[in-house]
Amino acid sequence: MGELSRSALHDRHVALGAKLADFGGWEMPIEYPRGGVLKEHAAVRSAVGIFDVSHLGKARVHGPGAAAFVNSVLTNDLSRIAPGRAQYTLCCDEESGGVADDLIAYLYADSEVFLVPNAANTVDVVRRLAAAAPPGVAVDNLHTAFGIVAVQGPRSAELMSLLGLPTSGAYMSFVRASWPSAGTEVIVCRSGYTGEHGFELVSRWADTPALWDALTAAGAPLGALPCGLGARDTLRTEMGYPLHGQDLSTSITPVQARVDWAVGWGKQRFWGRDALLAERATGPARLLWGLRATDRGIPRPHMTVYGPAGAPVGEVTTGTFSPTLRTGIGLALIDRTVGEGDTVQVDVRGRLSTMAVVRPPFVPASPR
Amino acid sequence: MYPEDLKYTTEHEWIRVSSDIARVGITSFAQDALGDIVFVTLPAVGDRVRAGEPFGEVESTKSVSDVYAPVSGEVIARNEVLDSTPELVNSDPYGEGWLVEVAVDDAGATAALLDAVAYAQHVQGT
Repeated sequence: MGELSRSALHDRHVALGAKLADFGGWEMPIEYPRGGVLKEHAAVRSAVGIFDVSHLGKARVHGPGAAAFVNSVLTNDLSRIAPGRAQYTLCCDEESGGVADDLIAYLYADSEVFLVPNAANTVDVVRRLAAAAPPGVAVDNLHTAFGIVAVQGPRSAELMSLLGLPTSGAYMSFVRASWPSAGTEVIVCRSGYTGEHGFELVSRWADTPALWDALTAAGAPLGALPCGLGARDTLRTEMGYPLHGQDLSTSITPVQARVDWAVGWGKQRFWGRDALLAERATGPARLLWGLRATDRGIPRPHMTVYGPAGAPVGEVTTGTFSPTLRTGIGLALIDRTVGEGDTVQVDVRGRLSTMAVVRPPFVPASPR
Repeated sequence: MYPEDLKYTTEHEWIRVSSDIARVGITSFAQDALGDIVFVTLPAVGDRVRAGEPFGEVESTKSVSDVYAPVSGEVIARNEVLDSTPELVNSDPYGEGWLVEVAVDDAGATAALLDAVAYAQHVQGT
């Protein structure tokens, strides 16, 4: 493994004393000393949090028929949205139907789609797309051409307004804005991965520090905190949103992970279609469920789940402490013999912890 | 940077001995590395703890750590308030965030533990 990549905001994180860790090959802030995961999580649920998510990939597919090409390989139906809208979609493996990546597709025009894959999967996604692209359609890896800052929480629109940034867009819509002056463009998308009302701002790499500085300064009186990826993980887990590499992988299909709402089943072509249609017809062998501890156990990835009869029925894929519920929660891939409403036992370092099988979100979601 | 009146283990526990009673907790370094602590699991009063063996767990949002006994003895008190306010281990690791008190079997056993300077060197080396 080579040297870790660094965000355009790396110096800001170091100056704030952030704890940094490897996140998909990027050295990113996990938490900041002013906050800590619990305070940062609370800031997003009750006020607003500002996240550097510049580790996320950026890629542009462009040329005549670019959108049609993307729609013929990624799972979701891009024809359901108009230019100016973004969509959660999946890049599945053609053979297995497993998820190579989950990503956001921004539809600019029939000839241009901007993609935001996961950090660790960007090279793979770009490679898969480039290898399949028809003549005239190009796929550019723009990982370090742009930074991404997420502004999330019930006061996010208020903070955006203080900078003169647009806030009126519908959920999953995006607009180009000029910030801080004409000629400097920021893409503002009404999206996020926290379950709160929020925005994701895609700015040119070199402009990102100024944007971060303006947001953190203007946000302070609103109770805004810079938030690390530790809080992003507890926030997305409370929503039951999957994380690639844990709840999604090339050995986990969208049907199993219950993200088949992001599959355009009526489409004639997308990678993994045959495998996924077959699995949907027979029913998946396992499904991703939520786990909610009824004791002090905290589920962690790879812990074994035992069914009511005492036999192993699955494995935890995500687990943490829910700051909102003050209890252990997680996601687990569980055999179809067990389902919602059942009680299971999780082997928490040799002790059995009792957990309820539930359908996420664990906490009411209000992203719109 | 680490209190000089305490002894330390390489596993990041501290111990304060007066007479044959030892109070045990985890160091500032340990609580900072763990992050926000959400659950503390401690032995019951009357339980035996053995030097070098785990006697409890400190769990944060991110991870869980065993806590090792610096000395052998019998637990005579556990910090009950940590059941409802585990964050005291973060905010006051050497004070309100103590974990247990132990009646020490061998008062001389702490001589083998690290002093503040040696512990600071150990932390720098990790």
